[in-house]
Amino acid sequence: MAIRTEELLLNVGPQHPSTHGVFRVVVHIDGEVITSSDPVMGYLHRGTEKLAENLTYTQIIPYTDRMDYVSAMTNNYVLCHAVETLMGLEIPERAEYLRVIVMELQRIASHLLWWGTYLLDIGAMSPFLFAFRDREMILDFFNELCGARLTYNYMRIGGVKWDAPEGWIEKIRNYVPYLRQQLIEYDALVNGNEIFLARLKGVGKYSAEDAINYGLSGACLRSTGVKWDLRKDRPYSIYNRFEFDVPVETEGDCYARYLIRFAEISESLKILEQAVEQFPAEGETMGKVPRVLRVPEGEVYVGIESPRGEIGCHIISKGKDKPYRLKFRRPSFVNLQILPKLLEGETMTNLVTILGSIDIVVGEVDA
Amino acid sequence: MADYVLSAFTWQNGLLFFIWTVITLFAVLGFVTYAIYFERKVIGWMQLRIGPNRVGPLGLLQTVADIAKLLMKEDIIPKAAVRDLFIIAPALTFVPSFVVIATIPFSESITFADLNIGILYYLALSSISTIGIIIGSWASNNKYSLLGGMRSAAQMISYEIPLVLSVVGVILMSSSLNLRVIVEGQLGGVWHWNIFPQIIGFVIFIIAAVSELNRTPFDLPEAESELVAGYHVEYTGFRFAFFMLAEYVYVFAFSAMATVLFLGGWDAPAPFLSFIPGLIWFLLKFSFFVFFLFWIRATLPRIRVDQLMSLAWKVLLPLSLLNILLTVFAIEIHKWIA
Amino acid sequence: MKGILKGMGVTFKAMTDKKVTYAYPDVPINMPDRFRGIQHFDPEKCIVCNQCARICPTDCIQLTGKANPDPTKKGKVIDTYDINFELCILCDLCTEVCPTEAIVMTNNFELASYSRDELFKNLDWLNENNQLIRQENNSAMPKKGGEK
Repeated sequence: MAIRTEELLLNVGPQHPSTHGVFRVVVHIDGEVITSSDPVMGYLHRGTEKLAENLTYTQIIPYTDRMDYVSAMTNNYVLCHAVETLMGLEIPERAEYLRVIVMELQRIASHLLWWGTYLLDIGAMSPFLFAFRDREMILDFFNELCGARLTYNYMRIGGVKWDAPEGWIEKIRNYVPYLRQQLIEYDALVNGNEIFLARLKGVGKYSAEDAINYGLSGACLRSTGVKWDLRKDRPYSIYNRFEFDVPVETEGDCYARYLIRFAEISESLKILEQAVEQFPAEGETMGKVPRVLRVPEGEVYVGIESPRGEIGCHIISKGKDKPYRLKFRRPSFVNLQILPKLLEGETMTNLVTILGSIDIVVGEVDA
Repeated sequence: MADYVLSAFTWQNGLLFFIWTVITLFAVLGFVTYAIYFERKVIGWMQLRIGPNRVGPLGLLQTVADIAKLLMKEDIIPKAAVRDLFIIAPALTFVPSFVVIATIPFSESITFADLNIGILYYLALSSISTIGIIIGSWASNNKYSLLGGMRSAAQMISYEIPLVLSVVGVILMSSSLNLRVIVEGQLGGVWHWNIFPQIIGFVIFIIAAVSELNRTPFDLPEAESELVAGYHVEYTGFRFAFFMLAEYVYVFAFSAMATVLFLGGWDAPAPFLSFIPGLIWFLLKFSFFVFFLFWIRATLPRIRVDQLMSLAWKVLLPLSLLNILLTVFAIEIHKWIA
Repeated sequence: MKGILKGMGVTFKAMTDKKVTYAYPDVPINMPDRFRGIQHFDPEKCIVCNQCARICPTDCIQLTGKANPDPTKKGKVIDTYDINFELCILCDLCTEVCPTEAIVMTNNFELASYSRDELFKNLDWLNENNQLIRQENNSAMPKKGGEK
């Protein structure tokens, strides 16, 4: 007589420490092995895109802060960039440099946060606090620059709100070597750890073909060997002025994604170093912008490389001061779609590893 | 003290036993209170924080406040829980953890029970705690805790074997299961301690014991990032406190055991240092193990279930068997030369 | 094993590293000048142009004006001015558009309260919130009239 076994239906989330916010995965488990899973999202849906239809372009900027709240600067930028492209505005040099500096700082801050929380998911406590110490410094820079630590509302259509305060650029210049030093320490703390490697290697593997079919972008795509970084392949802002590499791995597993994000911190430091060096001594931070922004009729889509992948903004304008329709291509949302495929046949422990390696921010998934 | 145990059981003796038990209980409780404080401080320092510093001077009363909070909390038993088992589980987990302390010789004179099967007693009773954990996890009627309990069961079964086998080398060397005799076999300075001839056994013992303790990196039954809190998800108030207490009393017992088996118990590292009382040496070595546990907790990520199993069966078990073999050969060759 | 030992070395070394904990409630945190905290409102300067209420993305500002009590002067003076801090996201847009700097940011950020009603701040409260007022304002405004 065989023992009667039954699948267990387990709700992981919406309140669960490793779903990084209010995200839910309904998993069927056979012992510890997941047989099927069903991600449920929308707990943090605020209807940003619909709200935007009733707001002027300037008013939308604070809303974009709240989508991917870990990387608000790139969200600011994608909206401003879309509107500027549609209006054909010219951005002053100094403003462009400030934008690149804050975006790269934001990328570092975002990756540091990811690094810390990912290791917390895996069970190591200390890296989280190490990462927060250094992220905190970046937030302090932002606080000094624009008066907020998370929701910056820094960029404006046609430029940036604030010029760099006195000594700010110098601080960034000093921060670059400091963080390089810290990265060596992080590397010693985690990257060689055998338990850590055993947890990540070969977990959550997919091919380049799958990645493209699912529309993945960012580190999730580059981990499969596809060298696709919008900063290089579809240069925006002034990224073509900087020398940097695009880290690529071919394995397509969690460890590859981990290595790419870790390497991207160093690459962003390179960009920062050059941007600080080339930073124009003086100049306007705000272009010539009419007081009431009326965007000419038309459509535009721009995509930029956020820390999580390609964040895009599609605007349909009917010539008013408000968009007729606004759509954000949110990388977390798109990258998350591969989750059920990856989870099949994995254990409960790997659920956390895989979900963490996709690097979602629920504010962006649900918008 | 051992004489008391051997004496006839009278009312006075019974009372004396009781008093000693209460004193030990309070000593252990005091240890647990400050082990938690110390753990939080150490981990805080390692994580660039300062740890508890608000309640009392230097935060010394923090754990007292926490315990007071746990005791005053509402006692919640979920409606769907199996009530009797839910209640009995924390006690079943805690009692063996306290009982095993009886056999540990802290110094030449302080031994509560001088059992001639001390090691077996310790190893056998400490497994009962896992049964308490499994009962508690099942009785909670919660899927997360059930998963935690199942992991705990698998872990206990796998790691009990290398744990016992790793100690066999020590037993062979001292030809006794009595913990006091084992320590006495190592007296006379650091070069007599079992840690050097039994280095493989020592490493296996540490790994297996950390696993038995359910602490990082083997804290799978309560993995907070996967199973939220594992087997004690549904426990609150003083029942939860009992689980916590059991965990820390095992830290006490394990550190004491490792000191006795491998670091020569109360023995001074060099004969000229023996003017310092044995109890102090014992406490120093013991604190080192406690610190070590906190240290790895602050550093290491958690291992996966399947890796945990393969580590136990494919690495630790053959290694511990090899260790026994090597020990036997070494002893025989030693005899043959002599 | 080597990697584990290396990692343990890092954590051991960190024990003596500088601690980064803030002693926050005991020692107040000084925010940089540009910090966007609770607004300060100066009724003397307000010309009731309604721009702040219009730019607010969350509609958290309500204001009413009344005719100037001094009959010799034209224009309006402010009568009531309320900010609902349940809604306010401190985005800085109201201070950005204010032509007279009647509403400015301060560095105060402690808004926590036990009741939602306390988050509804009126003119008097905002006027009294006059500590740590931000020095540098309106920097993103196109200079003089805008259209250039």
